[in-house]
Amino acid sequence: MKIGMLMTPHSTKRTSPLMSEVLALLEQWNVKVEVVYPDDRVTLLLGVRVEHDLYVLKAQTELAHSIAGALHAVGAPILNPWPVAVMMRDKVAAMRRLQAAGVPIPDTWLISSPQRLAALLEEGPLVIKPSRASKGHGARIVWDADELEDAILPGGGPLLAQRYHKPDGADEDDRKIYCIGGQLFGVLRKVSARTFREKCGEPFTITKELRDIAMRCADAFGVELFGVDLILRDGKPYVVDIHSFPGFKGVPDAALRLADYIYATARLAMAGRMIGGRDDDLAAPVAKARSA
Amino acid sequence: MKAVVFGPGRIGCGFVGQLLHASGYELVFVGRDAIADHLSRVGRYVVRLTDGCEDRDQEVPGVRALRTSDVEAVAAAIAEADLVAVSVGPRNLPAIAPLVAAGLRRRKTPLNVIAFENCTDPGVVLRDAVFTCAPSLREAGHGFSGALVSRIVTQRIGELEGDEPLVFLGDPTTSFIVHGPSLCEPFPHIEGLRAVDDYGAWATKKLYTFGAGHAAAAYFGALKGYRYVHSAIRDPEIRSAVLSAMEEGQRGLEQRYGPELAGDGAELEAIIARFENAALNDPVSRVGRDPRRKLGPEDRLVGAAHLAEEAGVSPRRLALAAAAAICFDCVGKPHAEAQERSETVHTVSGLDPQSGLGRQVSEAFTRIAEWREADNVLLSLKELVWSWARCPLMPQPVQLRKLG
Repeated sequence: MKIGMLMTPHSTKRTSPLMSEVLALLEQWNVKVEVVYPDDRVTLLLGVRVEHDLYVLKAQTELAHSIAGALHAVGAPILNPWPVAVMMRDKVAAMRRLQAAGVPIPDTWLISSPQRLAALLEEGPLVIKPSRASKGHGARIVWDADELEDAILPGGGPLLAQRYHKPDGADEDDRKIYCIGGQLFGVLRKVSARTFREKCGEPFTITKELRDIAMRCADAFGVELFGVDLILRDGKPYVVDIHSFPGFKGVPDAALRLADYIYATARLAMAGRMIGGRDDDLAAPVAKARSA
Repeated sequence: MKAVVFGPGRIGCGFVGQLLHASGYELVFVGRDAIADHLSRVGRYVVRLTDGCEDRDQEVPGVRALRTSDVEAVAAAIAEADLVAVSVGPRNLPAIAPLVAAGLRRRKTPLNVIAFENCTDPGVVLRDAVFTCAPSLREAGHGFSGALVSRIVTQRIGELEGDEPLVFLGDPTTSFIVHGPSLCEPFPHIEGLRAVDDYGAWATKKLYTFGAGHAAAAYFGALKGYRYVHSAIRDPEIRSAVLSAMEEGQRGLEQRYGPELAGDGAELEAIIARFENAALNDPVSRVGRDPRRKLGPEDRLVGAAHLAEEAGVSPRRLALAAAAAICFDCVGKPHAEAQERSETVHTVSGLDPQSGLGRQVSEAFTRIAEWREADNVLLSLKELVWSWARCPLMPQPVQLRKLG
């Protein structure tokens, strides 16, 4: 079994061992894993061909997406499909897709510059963020029209403004729901988290309502691997972001679960039964039942 | 030397045939039309032995095969054979008995028949079925024994319509145990064969350690949402629970059969190491299938738990594994009725849900079933913390790390 991993070079400042653990597990399972750093090499377009049984698009850079797009174009099986990864990176498209699927999101506007938001601020604060960014980069809360002058975000491009709902909880808890192979995992994280351990947060048992919302997100994109950020305001949930390959921090046994899912999907791909199909022999019993 | 092998399946080809070939036997398989025709046409197959790190292909050449419908040819082959081996599945033993009997009737000398089946005393089952077909064979001195196979053979790779040899994927274990007193002279010399006097005890040992551990790994793995046994067993909680379940069974074996047969902790660790072998591609769904059979009163979970109780050991993990097996059986039935679980515990496992082991299983099942939903997975086996719940309360953090 051969798997190609499109990744960004691991920074020494980051301490998440998730992908290292995933790679180690897959190698223990006799999988030949080739790690590809699209941003660190010159890629001959003609040389982009299907050389692995499965590709995993972990890197979320523009170039990584382009390489994934090229692989997609020549029929490569990709765990987290390229069109979905691209759409999730485009917050405008992703939010509209979620909205259309009945997922509750805050009121959202698309703008070219923050200065146009003055009237909306009379109704309450807004979160402004670039339409193509991840991990909260460039996002800021604007409470007053006076702040709009300084709210020009780096990089240019369209902006997304969302009504800001102060999360419930003393420490403005940040809630994540991660999906690995159709299984959901809730993680509660303090906004004030500083250390790696704090940033991992604590798992929580998801309510039926949140589970249904997460499953609507999954169905909206037709994927089994993603993460959503959500907030609860007065007990009402709002999805504020979605990621095609998040870090899964705080998910119990995340690396093992992720490796198990990647391995099973690669087996499906080798048997020509991927993607979008479901294999009755290999799907976990829970997933089988859900599909039934 | 010639051997007739009934059942060219995973164990028949992937274990029996390979060892017989290695021991100098010429092989004649007897099977269903499609595979018999394939083996006849190709004349060989490959056994791929893998320990998880390294694969080793062993070709089994010079293979002949007959259709089960060709009674005359099968009987003639048995008449000339030095050994008959059977691996057709326990339920099919009565169906092949007339064929075996037809061959044995033609013989002038006694012959050994070894049944490599995963059931209680398959040698006796087959012998009785053969004697029912041909009572005169009772006095002919033929030997009938079961065989306990330790190799896991998970897959057959290849197309029966094609001309490429089939590949059978298994682990490298070669040992198997037969009941020595049940076999006749000349005694067969086969690589890996170990003859014992107390076959029943060894069969129980295999079922209550390896079988119990394998099933527990699958059922716990299903609860936590893993797809493969090799993944599930790397989950520290599952590994610990599976080891504990096997230890409970081993304590019972020690009490009944003594420490030598029961084995030690290292033996259980070696079993766990075999479950880690990813090259076998053993899905949880395959290992866990047929849970009702595995919940039988004498079978790997409930039987081992009874034995543990007899030794004064509380079979807590075996009871949890049995409850997980009932859940596995209930997948797709979100809220199993109390009556249904009571029925499973009572009628399938022969337990009283109100007392003793039955109560332990029933209570464990109730704790699981209360939360079990089709797409729900356990975050913690130890604390029975679930991924999601129907409760309308605000989500509360779960201190899994503190729970350890």
